[in-house]
Amino acid sequence: MVKKILKIENLKTYFYTWAGIVKAVDGVNIDVNEGETLGLVGESGSGKSVTALSIIRIVPSPGKIVEGKIIYKGENLVEKKEKTLQDIRGKEIAYIFQDPATSLNPVFTIANQLVEVILRHQKISKKEALEKAIELFRLVEIPDPEIKIWNYPHQLSGGMKQRMAIARALASQPNLLIADEPTTNLDVTIQAQILELMKNLKKKLGMSMILITHDMGVVADTADRITVLYAGRVCETADTKTIFYNPKHPYTQALLTAVPSLALKTEKLNVIPGSIPNLIKPPKGCRFHPRCEYAQQICTKKIPELTEIEPGHKVACLRATEINLKSPLGGSNN
Amino acid sequence: MFNKQVGLIHAVDGVSFSINKGETFGLVGESGCGKTTTARAILYIDPPTSGKINFEGKDIVSIFKSKNKEEKLKLRRKIQYVFQNPYASLDPRMTVSDIIIEPLIIHKLVPKKFCYQRLYELLKLVGLEEYHAERYPHEFSGGQRQRICIARALAVEPTLLIADEPVASLDVSVRAQILNLLTELQQKFKTTFLYISHDLSTVRHICHRVAVMYMGRIVEVAKTEDLFEEPLHPYTKALISSIPIPDPLAKKTRIILTGEVPSPINPPVGCRFEARCTYDKDQNCVKNVPKLVDVGNGHFVACEKTKK
Amino acid sequence: MSRYIIRRLLYLIPLFLGILIIVFAATRIAGDPVRLMTALNPHISEQSRINLAHYYGLDQPIYTQFFMYLSQMMAGDLGNSYAIRGGIEVTTLIGDYIGPTMQLQILAMSLALAIAIPVGIISAKKRYSKLDMTVTTTSLLGTCIPVFYMGIIAIIVFSYILGWFPPGSYITQISDTRNYFLGNPTLDILWHMAVPTGVLTFAILAPIVLLVRSSMLEVLKQDYILAARASGLSERVVIYKHALRNALIPVVTYAGIYFGGMLAGAPITETVFNWPGLGRLFVQATTKLDFPVIMGITVVITIMTLIANLITDITYGYIDPRIRME
Repeated sequence: MVKKILKIENLKTYFYTWAGIVKAVDGVNIDVNEGETLGLVGESGSGKSVTALSIIRIVPSPGKIVEGKIIYKGENLVEKKEKTLQDIRGKEIAYIFQDPATSLNPVFTIANQLVEVILRHQKISKKEALEKAIELFRLVEIPDPEIKIWNYPHQLSGGMKQRMAIARALASQPNLLIADEPTTNLDVTIQAQILELMKNLKKKLGMSMILITHDMGVVADTADRITVLYAGRVCETADTKTIFYNPKHPYTQALLTAVPSLALKTEKLNVIPGSIPNLIKPPKGCRFHPRCEYAQQICTKKIPELTEIEPGHKVACLRATEINLKSPLGGSNN
Repeated sequence: MFNKQVGLIHAVDGVSFSINKGETFGLVGESGCGKTTTARAILYIDPPTSGKINFEGKDIVSIFKSKNKEEKLKLRRKIQYVFQNPYASLDPRMTVSDIIIEPLIIHKLVPKKFCYQRLYELLKLVGLEEYHAERYPHEFSGGQRQRICIARALAVEPTLLIADEPVASLDVSVRAQILNLLTELQQKFKTTFLYISHDLSTVRHICHRVAVMYMGRIVEVAKTEDLFEEPLHPYTKALISSIPIPDPLAKKTRIILTGEVPSPINPPVGCRFEARCTYDKDQNCVKNVPKLVDVGNGHFVACEKTKK
Repeated sequence: MSRYIIRRLLYLIPLFLGILIIVFAATRIAGDPVRLMTALNPHISEQSRINLAHYYGLDQPIYTQFFMYLSQMMAGDLGNSYAIRGGIEVTTLIGDYIGPTMQLQILAMSLALAIAIPVGIISAKKRYSKLDMTVTTTSLLGTCIPVFYMGIIAIIVFSYILGWFPPGSYITQISDTRNYFLGNPTLDILWHMAVPTGVLTFAILAPIVLLVRSSMLEVLKQDYILAARASGLSERVVIYKHALRNALIPVVTYAGIYFGGMLAGAPITETVFNWPGLGRLFVQATTKLDFPVIMGITVVITIMTLIANLITDITYGYIDPRIRME
């Protein structure tokens, strides 16, 4: 039996805005096994970032966790006090943000920001912390670490900034690393460098990882398992191969076919009609039904439960077993 | 009338390429490679320091430098631009009808009483409804806004449409809609497209020919299939191999480039890719600027080490 | 950083000269100084006028006059007053009046910053709470009500109704020490300062509170704040180290502009409180068309403004490395 490092049960995080309650995360269930990389895939407004921020309980106001459990190593983080959470953040669970240009404080040197985080969780002297920071810079393969560490963020390129952000996240050797679109704002050749680096570091440090992305290409290469989110709910969870070769949720399948890819040259892209729903008044029943080509009367009324249709493969679609979806990669080759 | 050759550009740093009438030409490269600057030079937003931009047999630069207002206005009409960010490129205080009718009036294309008729035609063309006309940009989603931008550009019947990363800021599920729309419109009106993007997979999907830029220079130009099937320049090879393939079982022969793009303030003297190149380099690469050479079948490459 | 400061300093020289030229020209456009000087004496002869003009060098071409003024200024001589205290030296006059002005303004500004920054931060942290509502409403009021109005109300309340503080002036006028507040001249001055300082502090503080609050709210939305929280840093470090430094940038701009303009605003405050400062001197000089004094005060104001600008720039450079490196 694989040990679960993190188990999220029926998480609901709502934002109380003037316009109404935005149900950004509305009953999400996610498991992360020890040592694996879970890909959390979805478009904007799918709730993937809010889910991640909920895990370490830093959802910005006016957002609030209204229901659910977040069980990390057997303890429910939803019930923990702020003080305890501060000890967990950065030490047990670390976070990398999407945009390295904005996730580093522009007015402090990198040394300052790194040393601060190291001293927060480790009882060592300032000098030792600085040595450790330089060591971390070597780990993330930044050239001339002794010089670069005295720079301000704006003096570094995007790729270097993201390496620095990774170094900060790894400062206290976390057990779980949450990376929120870590390469979206980077150029492809730099993206390749950073993904390779993260894969190697994960292996080296034996961490578990949640990789949040909208890019099916990125998860195909990096994730062991994938959870697909749509409009604040989980559509499908399975191992990476199954998601790509044997998707059971129409949205997963649509995501795979709507994206132009180098591997598949198609005349016309498959289009998902419409756009992402407004989460103040989300569609009733299955949230994907207005855009789903397989939707029937029942889909507009009944909320589909996330059900296991084969070991390790869970789908939230009322018609999952009736419809025969085809992966653009060809059939299942189990 | 239309030449076979629509544009010949010398911009950024000795950039030359030509776009054929009715084709979709892709300009690819990473941030800071000069692809947007090139587009802005064609539009004369950032006038080029030197060089010629030939459009329909006339030099854009000399027209804009002259005092011929009529010719300038004509050029402004014939070359249209769709920006990356549909949120920032629509005036939030104008309704869709104002946005689309404005260029019709400026360029005196349609008599006033037929403006609305033309507006509805355009809206239908880009997949919007008549009732959308009196709404404001903030009432639309990103994809719909990009449709409005496209309608505004098409309103004046341009012969060249420059689309700068038109889908980069859109959600993946909406991207396909816009890409399909662009392809459809291209086939329908035979408009020439200059499609600028860092995203090779969309480029492959909609372009006929592609030019790859690196640090202000073009390193390779070829027909789309040729470029993707048989890239010749080491940078193009690395670029293509860097793209994550959405297939967990795909064979990965990823070329990971070391280092980063050098500073454009002090660019390398010879080949600008030399420091990161995976080929066997020699003094020639360091000293000499490689020329863009035709290696056959309209495939050009600027690399001393690539001989076909 | 030192190169940055030197660059800023060099940039001040042409600015200073430019302002001087404009002001000098403006005082000359206002009319013939000799006629203005002698306006109250209808019996003066034409010859005396010519003599006077010659004495003050006013018969020279205007650019010669300007260079004379400039060279005298370099030597620390701003000329003599036409009308105040029998033609006293302007430098002495300014020397007498600048102290009270600076005391009042610097104390008010320091108090305002010391109160406004923490209040603004707390208000931003507890957005939409009752406390925040009270703070923002009060600050808005403070921003809307003009200083002189606030001053008059304060005098009525604290001097006439409650009788706690004197209604104005700098120190108890009688030199008998027993008449000083608690028998001590320093305490007496502070006692006189209380109401004007309070009013001025409130007037300065109100817009700064609103500014700190809104810029703090903006900064708290930034990713680096989330990132700081995600690293396990305590809320205090997140707010007072990571957020505050960034939130202060617009505040420094405002304080700089205010400090530059502070002397220009002083006439009203000082007249209301009968405060013997540069502002009131300026009002006196203007009513008597005493150009050397007006000019002298303007030079001082210009220098102060430029110094305030310099300090703002240096503070900017200290707070935000991106500005320093440009």
